[in-house]
Amino acid sequence: MATNVASGAHNFKVVLLGEGCVGKTSLLLRYIEDKFNDKHLTTLQATFLNKRLNINGKRINLSIWDTAGQEKFHALGPIYYRNSNGAILVYDITDEDSFGKVKNWVKELKKMLGSDIVLTIAGNKIDLEHERTVPLEEAESYANMVGAKHFYTSAKLNQGVEDLFLDLTKEMLNKSEQTSQMDVSRTSQVLVVDDELTPVQTSCCSGSKSN
Amino acid sequence: MNEEALLARASEERERIFQRYERGRENLVGQIDPWEDPEFEEYHKTDRYGFIHDERLPQKTGSQKVNIEVEREKKWVKMLGNWDTSATKEKLHRRIYKGIPNSLRIKVWCKLMDVNKVKSANPGKFQEMLKLAKLWSTDVRQIDSDVNRQFREHQFYRERYSEKQCSLFNVLCAYSMYNSEVGYCQGMSGLAGVLLMYMDEEDAFWALAVLLSDKKYAMHGLYIEGFPKLTRFLEHHDKILTKFMPKLKHHFDKFGLDAILYSLKWFFVCFVERVPFSLCLRVWDIYLLDGERVVTAMAYNILKLHKKAIMKLNDMDLIVNYIQVKLHKDFGFEDDFVIYQLERSMDELKRAKLDYPGQPPPTELPKRQLGIFVEPDKKQKIGQRAENFSETEKQARATVILRERGISYNDTVLTGTGATVNSIQGNLLKREKAEMELHELRVSQSDTVSEHSGVAAGMRCDDSVSALGSRRSLADTSVTSTADLSVFSSGRSHAPDNSLDTHSNVSDDATGSDGSGICGLSIQRAPSTTHSTPRATPHPPSVSPLSDDIVRIHVTYNPLAASPSHLTPINPSKYKGYNDEHHKPVSLGFYPSNGAMNLPSDNRIRIQVPSEELLTPVVDSGRIITQRFIDHRSEMYDLK
Repeated sequence: MATNVASGAHNFKVVLLGEGCVGKTSLLLRYIEDKFNDKHLTTLQATFLNKRLNINGKRINLSIWDTAGQEKFHALGPIYYRNSNGAILVYDITDEDSFGKVKNWVKELKKMLGSDIVLTIAGNKIDLEHERTVPLEEAESYANMVGAKHFYTSAKLNQGVEDLFLDLTKEMLNKSEQTSQMDVSRTSQVLVVDDELTPVQTSCCSGSKSN
Repeated sequence: MNEEALLARASEERERIFQRYERGRENLVGQIDPWEDPEFEEYHKTDRYGFIHDERLPQKTGSQKVNIEVEREKKWVKMLGNWDTSATKEKLHRRIYKGIPNSLRIKVWCKLMDVNKVKSANPGKFQEMLKLAKLWSTDVRQIDSDVNRQFREHQFYRERYSEKQCSLFNVLCAYSMYNSEVGYCQGMSGLAGVLLMYMDEEDAFWALAVLLSDKKYAMHGLYIEGFPKLTRFLEHHDKILTKFMPKLKHHFDKFGLDAILYSLKWFFVCFVERVPFSLCLRVWDIYLLDGERVVTAMAYNILKLHKKAIMKLNDMDLIVNYIQVKLHKDFGFEDDFVIYQLERSMDELKRAKLDYPGQPPPTELPKRQLGIFVEPDKKQKIGQRAENFSETEKQARATVILRERGISYNDTVLTGTGATVNSIQGNLLKREKAEMELHELRVSQSDTVSEHSGVAAGMRCDDSVSALGSRRSLADTSVTSTADLSVFSSGRSHAPDNSLDTHSNVSDDATGSDGSGICGLSIQRAPSTTHSTPRATPHPPSVSPLSDDIVRIHVTYNPLAASPSHLTPINPSKYKGYNDEHHKPVSLGFYPSNGAMNLPSDNRIRIQVPSEELLTPVVDSGRIITQRFIDHRSEMYDLK
């Protein structure tokens, strides 16, 4: 699945999800090509880029899938996040609605993939800090609650991007090593549905509505 | 922020964006972020269509070719002068397939779409829509962001707030008011972007309107909520693959590669940025002449031409990269050759009656009158996103999830009589998984999850028609035999199935069976760890090393079935190898109401396998007695 035993390399699939215009493609381009936005094209069809990493002598190959952000396209989500080892949920710190959308994605991914997927939340556009509308504490405590790491990034100024991907990769590596140990004794896979999460989240979402 | 403040903010944002386009590049000196404005020095060469390349031009335009085009121009000019004559009609097809001379493309395209007619029937409409957009459009932010990245490697669109960028913005904003059901949908910037390379603002607006609402193109259904036309065309595309390129289809399936992942832009924007632009224009020429079926045929044509190369790629990422990126950069075949092949593909599909997915159903056509202003509600104005998926979207998601499992609502395999053991069991597996996920989805949508049984409790089929169909097909393939028919899942390779290893109990109330056979039929799924059960060994062609499940279908034969009282399934646990309680099969129970009379007297089994690739094991009492390719025609095989 995630590990290619023959070559000794780990292959991880990561999917970038988030509302339109939050900067998913910019983050990806910054990370892969260290570029910001020149020639950058709309992401209508999910595209992916590869990145090779070496962490503690382990060779890792990331294929990072970028998706269309416009709300209409979210219905196609399952096609994109299926078989993902990690997801980066991006929001724009100046757009509280885009943060609400992150919550929806978290909910959906938890339901559909259980704890098999490593979640990371990225608050992008910190270069626009003065326009921030998503409170810092709210974002971080939410991430904490759902067991996701939270990062602040600016694709434009190249802040936090490297850390974001590096940390996610390490988490995926941990998870895959744990899983492969478990695999030995395991005979079946059971979907983990995080029931406790639901009521907490509902209150959370209704909270954001009244903002 | 309270509602008023949010409304004010959204409206201020809209005005700000509009203002910048109105002022244009010249008046925004010093106000354009450097990142929005790539330097021209980065590029070197511009091709004849206006695209700027940082390397040597991909295709040499030989002098001979230019001469041919000059010759053709003369003929075309003449033909344009006598457009509505029978002589033109006669020549049009052949000439368009040869390619419209680039200098005359604008005129011919306008003729083919009848742009002038629509435009003159609606004087002032475009300006009116644009004015409304300035006051009301809720799509301005997304449009602005897409204009900032559409065709940025083209000289017209390279500079931020350039004339063509402003036109693109205006066309899309005006259209978002004109067609209130669609508004703006990503992808439309690609269509309008191409049109604007050849047309002025107003013509491009009307051409876009024709592409969406004229029945010949009917792209409206692609861009509305839930993308009904996309799923319909993809389903048809899958059908074509299954029929004409089963090996390739199998190859895609092996890597879990759904057609959406490589073909979205084929359907959405008619191959823009998926094939080289010169070829794309040739396809557009033909598309504008012949309409929807061109897209279907070209999709088939691309895969046909590149089948060999794709079959060599053993990784989903590699395949996607090849189809999406490589073919855009370099298609590998001359445009003329591709078009020649396209025509042949169209003929081939036509002969198989697969050239056209059919008239668009009313749901894919505009319901509201076009060009009538509908005031957006508060939520839309603020730009608030929906908390949950709408019913339409839920259905689209369901379709997408079912697609992933290779099941479609109208799948003939499931409803027709030519059922196949391989595909049935595959589909059943897939269906189970899909249903599990759908179940999950419903749960997550309703937020009322209280228990996750994972097994029988949640297993109710949404789509009762196709569920019935699948049962019926199973009944068809069965089966009066002493044979214990074991088949293996052809397996989706690397699906880490959360919902695996559950036994679904699809109960049957006996009305679904057509009475063609009497049997107790049970299906068992076992995780891969039980590969070593004595009943069977996986047969290599259909089981990938990563395949994680096996299916067994037990057909119990009851020779005393003449009396309905005997129609109880034999408990499969009597068989050796089924001591393990955990893997106890679940009876599917196909009991015909009147079945006893139809019981054939011999021990023969009827199997039909359409696949040329998969060996079908025929198993008797746990031993594989034969593995063979079975003919397309349904035949009777004597197991003795």
